[in-house]
Amino acid sequence: MQTASRQMKLSVFQRFYILAIVAFVLGPFLPLIIQSLAFRWAWPDLLPSTWWLERRTESPVPLAWDYVLSPYSQVGIATINTLFIGFAATLLCLMICLPAARALARNRFRGKRAFEFLLSMPLIVPEAVIGMALLMIYIRLGLAGSYTGIIIAHLIPTIPYMVRMLTSVYQGLAPDYEEQAAILGAGRLQILLRVTLPMLMPGLVAGALFTFLVSSNVFLLTFFLGQGRIVTLPTLLFSKISGGSLDASAAGIALVASLPGIVLFALSERLVREELFVGGLGR
Amino acid sequence: MKKSRAVAALLAASISLAGAATVANAAEQSASFRQDYLAGAITWDKVESRAKGEKELNFYYWGGDDTLNVWIDSVVRPAMAERGIKLNPVRIAATKDAVDLVLTELAAGKAEGEGSVDVIWLNGENFFTLAQQDALWGSFAETLPNSKNFVWDPASPLSSPNLRDFGTETNGREIPWSGEQYVCAMNGQYVQAADTPATFADLKAYLEDNPGKFTYVKPPHYVGNTFVQEAIYAHNPDGNGAEPFQKSVNELGAEELARLIAPGLDYLKAIEPLLATADGGKPRYPEDTAALDNMFLNAEVYFNCKFGIYAVNSGLITGRYPEAAREFIFPEKLMIKNKNYLAIPLNSPNPASALVFADYMSSVDAQASKLKTVGYPVGIDPTQLSANDRELVKIAAPSHYGVTSEDLDANAVADTNASLVDIIEATWLEYIERGSDKPIADIVADAVGKSAPE
Repeated sequence: MQTASRQMKLSVFQRFYILAIVAFVLGPFLPLIIQSLAFRWAWPDLLPSTWWLERRTESPVPLAWDYVLSPYSQVGIATINTLFIGFAATLLCLMICLPAARALARNRFRGKRAFEFLLSMPLIVPEAVIGMALLMIYIRLGLAGSYTGIIIAHLIPTIPYMVRMLTSVYQGLAPDYEEQAAILGAGRLQILLRVTLPMLMPGLVAGALFTFLVSSNVFLLTFFLGQGRIVTLPTLLFSKISGGSLDASAAGIALVASLPGIVLFALSERLVREELFVGGLGR
Repeated sequence: MKKSRAVAALLAASISLAGAATVANAAEQSASFRQDYLAGAITWDKVESRAKGEKELNFYYWGGDDTLNVWIDSVVRPAMAERGIKLNPVRIAATKDAVDLVLTELAAGKAEGEGSVDVIWLNGENFFTLAQQDALWGSFAETLPNSKNFVWDPASPLSSPNLRDFGTETNGREIPWSGEQYVCAMNGQYVQAADTPATFADLKAYLEDNPGKFTYVKPPHYVGNTFVQEAIYAHNPDGNGAEPFQKSVNELGAEELARLIAPGLDYLKAIEPLLATADGGKPRYPEDTAALDNMFLNAEVYFNCKFGIYAVNSGLITGRYPEAAREFIFPEKLMIKNKNYLAIPLNSPNPASALVFADYMSSVDAQASKLKTVGYPVGIDPTQLSANDRELVKIAAPSHYGVTSEDLDANAVADTNASLVDIIEATWLEYIERGSDKPIADIVADAVGKSAPE
């Protein structure tokens, strides 16, 4: 109720700023949506001169959304691949980063500083270079063009972020809670499941979400190492727009490609908020 | 950290070991199949039955054309399934990606039968590269049952595009798939029929009255290279058009080549200030055909020159072209015509399927269906067909807007030798794009020196 009453008191400026932010966030989607419904949209027309629906029945080939939603566009398989690779990479990334972050946050060891710096190296070296070098290794190992290969490759740009996020979460989590649970007789598994994980949850969800979003946007690594045989939403979109023009079907594919991110954001937004403010530490 | 890395390494190693054992066996069989087939020791029945036992068929092709994608999935895939072959169409953003993949795999020691590409749709430089690197499977084209649909007799002028791809001898290592011609379209809303240029001199005159309403795709894109070649043909100081450009750079020599191409390049330099401009007043050369299509649709330019005998028809069907788009004959007698092909790389893992696929694509049914649905002209030679089949192909052809197919045939001319294309491209980049002051003779000599045999 409190938030509701605050909303009523927005000043003109506040409203203006909120509108401006909404315009910036949603603005880029508007031309995409119009383009995806257009048959012919030439400059300087504000709106398409001919719409897709006008030509839909007489066209010998599937146009715009008819193409995007048909199996010919490969959007379905690309979405499935993107989700599968994204989830698998996120899970693997969590399994590697959770113990690593704990060690980094709680332990002191020689060369820790240097190690922390090294962790960000994959973000500094251009992806194309990593991709080219990995491809030769992958071809010899027989990993090129395989899901396993792509998932492993997606760990490269995601681990640095995940480790950093989880380290700071661990830093905010004093060992006291775990010690108290141990004193009260909880076993290691119990402590992990009942104390550590719930307290880590908001950071963990945020890290996982971020990892998934990075993974579902990786183009170059997927493209090089998948050898074109593994189609994901970014590779599909790239091969559509590499020509430098955005036609109706490309706009449609772009819109579909942004869906997984939007859905996940909406879901995790609720999850994180509930965990933090409702469940949170008190549970 | 250590543990997980060890686990990952183990995982990778075990996957590759398990994979390697089965692959090695199949690869050996593919290699011996290749030798026996090329030696003529395997009948077509055996090829077809072997194809049924192969895993799949990886067809790598440029995936930027929605209509072609629909045709491959809805017509070719079921046709292959009927023959017991699982077609895996791999859409790539550029043909060079598939060529690079084959060469990378070969460099990594993935030899005969061990690669991942079975068939590539290509022509020109990409074929030249594979041929130069000995990365092709072998002379299969004339052994296919449907090779009867092509003219192979060197005495007939029709055989030329079947035997030579941009001047490189095909030796049957690729089979023609589609024919193409460089055709220009204009926007009838802005250009009167009477003003339509027919020669390069006409074009310049038009642009002097209407500056900025023309541009061409930027070399090294092959569509840009082709426009430059036509300009060079038209300004050939000996007046014999395409003729001298059929020879290779070694036969012609740098000096002679420079003499032949200089007037054409000077013309292109002279029209540069009249072309469409980007911000800052520099001429704007679109990177590829999609970008040029966009400028044409937006009436930034009134003309659109590219490979595509039925490009106007497709552009009107998909809305990529303005409503008033029409074809016209330009430049008279010098419209470059060529073919594009299907090639099998040396390390194709499913060579029998690749052969069956290439044979199917050369059939009258597949060719007529592709012509009708996708608007890609046939790669087979209609003169070789029965009267019935010829009629079938004729009926399948999409409409022309403004010209007839007889007009187009009457103005066709051969493409440039692939070894010259590189030199001309390098010269354009140096002389026009970078605005070099060096004489053309020096630029050509440099480019020839750089491309000299390794």
